[in-house]
Amino acid sequence: MFHRKRSTEDFAEEIKAHLELEADDLKHQGLSEDEARRKARCEFGNVSVAQERFYIKDRWVWLDRLLRDLRFGLHSMRQSPGFAITAILTLALGMGANTAVFSVMNAVLLRALPVKDPQQLVYLRTSGDPRGIGTIDTHETFSCAVYDALRQQKRGLSPVMAYVPLSGSKVAVRFGPEPEEATGDMVSGDFFSGLGVKIARGRGFTEQDEASHAPIAVISYDYWTQRFSRNPDVLGKTFYVNSVPLTIVGVSAQGFQGLESGSSTDFWIPLQGRVELNAWGNPPEDGKIYIANPKWWCLGLIGRLAPGVSKAQATAALQSAFQTAAYDGIGAPQPGERKPILSLTEAKGFRGYDAEYGKPLKMLMAMVGLVLLIALSNVVMLVMARNATRQREFSMRLALGAGRWDLFQLLLTESLLLVAAGGALAWLFATYATKAMGAWAQIHSSLAPDTTVLLFTLAVLAFAAVLFGLAPLRAAIAGGAELAVKPLATISKTDVGTTKVGKVIVALQMALCVVLLVGAALLTRTLRNLKNTPLGFPTQGLVVFGVKPDIHSVPEGVAFYQELMSKLRVLPGVEAVSIMQERIGSGSSDNSDMTVDGKPPDVANGTSRTVRSNVVGPDFFHTLGVPVLAGRDFTDADTATAPHVGIINEEFAKRFLPNRNPLGHHIGPSGVNYQMTIVGVVKDHKYRSIEETPIPMAWYMYDQIPVIGQMSVEMRVRGEPLAILPTVQKVVAQMDPNLVLIQPTTQRAQYDSTISQQVLFARLSEFFGLLAILLVATGLYGTMAYRVNMRTAEIGVRMAVGARRGQVVWMVLRDSLLLTAIGVVLGIPLAILVGEALASSLYGVKPLDVLTYLLAVVGVAMVALAASAVPAGRAASVDPMTALHTD
Amino acid sequence: MTTRESKDDRIALLQGTLDLLILKTLVLGPCHGQGVARSIQRQSEEVFFVDHGSLYLALQRLEDKKWIRANWGVSENNRKARFYSLTPKGREHLVEKTSEWRRLARAMGLILDSGMGPSGEEA
Repeated sequence: MFHRKRSTEDFAEEIKAHLELEADDLKHQGLSEDEARRKARCEFGNVSVAQERFYIKDRWVWLDRLLRDLRFGLHSMRQSPGFAITAILTLALGMGANTAVFSVMNAVLLRALPVKDPQQLVYLRTSGDPRGIGTIDTHETFSCAVYDALRQQKRGLSPVMAYVPLSGSKVAVRFGPEPEEATGDMVSGDFFSGLGVKIARGRGFTEQDEASHAPIAVISYDYWTQRFSRNPDVLGKTFYVNSVPLTIVGVSAQGFQGLESGSSTDFWIPLQGRVELNAWGNPPEDGKIYIANPKWWCLGLIGRLAPGVSKAQATAALQSAFQTAAYDGIGAPQPGERKPILSLTEAKGFRGYDAEYGKPLKMLMAMVGLVLLIALSNVVMLVMARNATRQREFSMRLALGAGRWDLFQLLLTESLLLVAAGGALAWLFATYATKAMGAWAQIHSSLAPDTTVLLFTLAVLAFAAVLFGLAPLRAAIAGGAELAVKPLATISKTDVGTTKVGKVIVALQMALCVVLLVGAALLTRTLRNLKNTPLGFPTQGLVVFGVKPDIHSVPEGVAFYQELMSKLRVLPGVEAVSIMQERIGSGSSDNSDMTVDGKPPDVANGTSRTVRSNVVGPDFFHTLGVPVLAGRDFTDADTATAPHVGIINEEFAKRFLPNRNPLGHHIGPSGVNYQMTIVGVVKDHKYRSIEETPIPMAWYMYDQIPVIGQMSVEMRVRGEPLAILPTVQKVVAQMDPNLVLIQPTTQRAQYDSTISQQVLFARLSEFFGLLAILLVATGLYGTMAYRVNMRTAEIGVRMAVGARRGQVVWMVLRDSLLLTAIGVVLGIPLAILVGEALASSLYGVKPLDVLTYLLAVVGVAMVALAASAVPAGRAASVDPMTALHTD
Repeated sequence: MTTRESKDDRIALLQGTLDLLILKTLVLGPCHGQGVARSIQRQSEEVFFVDHGSLYLALQRLEDKKWIRANWGVSENNRKARFYSLTPKGREHLVEKTSEWRRLARAMGLILDSGMGPSGEEA
């Protein structure tokens, strides 16, 4: 069929030969030359038909027909641009929203790590930690001793790789004179080879690099692109991380963004042994950094299952080595202490994304699914209504000998045109929307639609194309050929079926719309509640940034911060300045048990003794504007040599020092020999995040404790808070040109970052709700307008026999209100289900909030009325005389 | 496509029979299209009417199926013509179809000849 054996010319030649042969024969029978020729031709029949049949036989007939149908489709689209534009836009919005959400879900939940055989990779997890140790995450981080012990085993997992960030946020790096920020991880020497991540340029690390703590780095492809515009000269370049020089030796393969959840890693370096490059950017504890500190579980571990070994077998092989190593350097387990248990979990996706975004994304996917349903059904109605007006054309085609299959092909081609245009727009829309969503949710992994997303989209589009081709087919055929000669008025009666289907669809759309509106309203109210939740202090004028000075002793650090604070305090426009170790509103906190007057506080059975603590500078509560209820704030007089002082919040006093004056009591972290006297009680306020409920809190004075490192600076300024930052940067640079302001932002934005997911969730569901309303309104408008059109004659008769305009308007409105009522009745139980599913994502609003449901119902009713107002008006303006004369 | 109505008592060929007749004609040796048509008409004692357009399409179809092959050659009266000849595969097919037709024709004959004659016999 693809390669033609014979040309049409050859065939024509053969026919010519036939005619000549035939003429010869006839001449033999005694006919004259002319007569013989004529008769030969006559006998043969229609030569051109034969040639055409030959031509058709070997061609892609369907291609010819397709082109013809396409031309016709384009032509008829141009004839009704309103229909085409509405249908294409509806499709583009519905599909685009779907593709965007699906591509985020695909990137975050479905796509595997860009590594070799990801199904063999497992994250190491522990059921807990030995008593008395510090940890980053109770279940996900391990000590260096455990890492060493497990990698020695070689049984079960081979290799075991460690990775740990250089900072909880970003780390200060410097390529030229200007300092900047980047995200960096320290990793095992066999990190890249073990994961099977290719190195695009240069080389990766070796185990030798890890052993010698080689000062080299591999940068990510994205960082190479963004920071260096893919300049190949980057290899061999030296840059400084916390003033330590490192040489770039490689660029990792495109698509690999590291193993940290929520952020992509810009560069990796082999595990280091220097104070400046301690894990998580922490100051050394008792002079020990992560490598030497068995009491700090800070490394993430990932391993590759040895060939033919199952997760269970690997776990069994490593369990005892793990439990021994867990107590390495910290003494035997205390009596009754449960040893931590090692487990393995599949590393196919990105760590943490699933927990963080899994549920919201699935909910969003369900919502856009509903939006898509509405959009598709809208287009179905549009296509049906439009093709109902083409009844005559179809009948004519049938009368001229077209078969059902031919009609279907025509309808399918037209539907393909619609779907192709809508799909292309949708893809464009989705690409932008995905980028916007990624930026908003601060997902740094590549969210760009990939092949899976493309296939998903194409599958939905193909479904849509067939649907739009089939939907009008029944009506098109039902007319039959006879219709071609019937008058229009008779035709209108055959459309009852079409409108009935339309009504059912509209009612269902209304139901879905109610569901979406209830969901959107619940989430929006959640967001409002979160935004209006008092933090316990005014955030206007508060600006916060981090600094990580290059210091080698506690006095040096104290001196640095004292100088910094005194320099900042005298800047014009600055009202107050303080510092804190944990940045408030960042989602993290220091948690530990505390003693009160030398012993664990008496608490009711089962109540937690956990206290959230922070290390802060003088004037801290004054700077924040948190009211001091009793006693005083920290002051410059609380120096290292002065008596150790601490401040607690109301909740601490209420829970651990009930009915007593808390001032003067001694508190301290349990297990550590450090005591301080309570000199102040402050009002409860939010520490980690907006959502948190009051919890006991305690504050240490920064210059009285034996540790110092990176701090966040809190400043209260007059006017626009961020405007002060350039001046601040200058002050900091004067003190040390290597220093950069780490993640400078307003304090409000910092707190808002803890609800960014809810913001995204709520905004998107609002958008989908609006989209649903818009689509349902168009659908309803279309159906109503069509119905009024069809009933023009009937309305004319009614008016002729005395119906008032008001009655006619009501007749139309009643129709749409009835549909709305049915939709609401169907939608509310569905909405209740959705509300229950959303329950855990709500804040300050119940899933069965009556007001929300009322709002949704009123919203749908308003939309219904608005959408039917125009058709109703048109119905009322029908002139009986004209209406009856039509046709 | 409208069916050709012949005013004479020739019978338009049934679908599928034409293929068989062409193959049968070619058993006697290579022949061009016009010769095939004439031969079929003559052998059927002018009962069959061969639509020439269909004939050439059928020839093409058989060629595509590799039952016959074609070469340009020269006719007895020195005319350039496309000559068709039977392939071994075509011969096999002919044998198979011929016996099929014989069975069919016998069965039809048994039914049609039994008892009642056709009602419109006198017409």
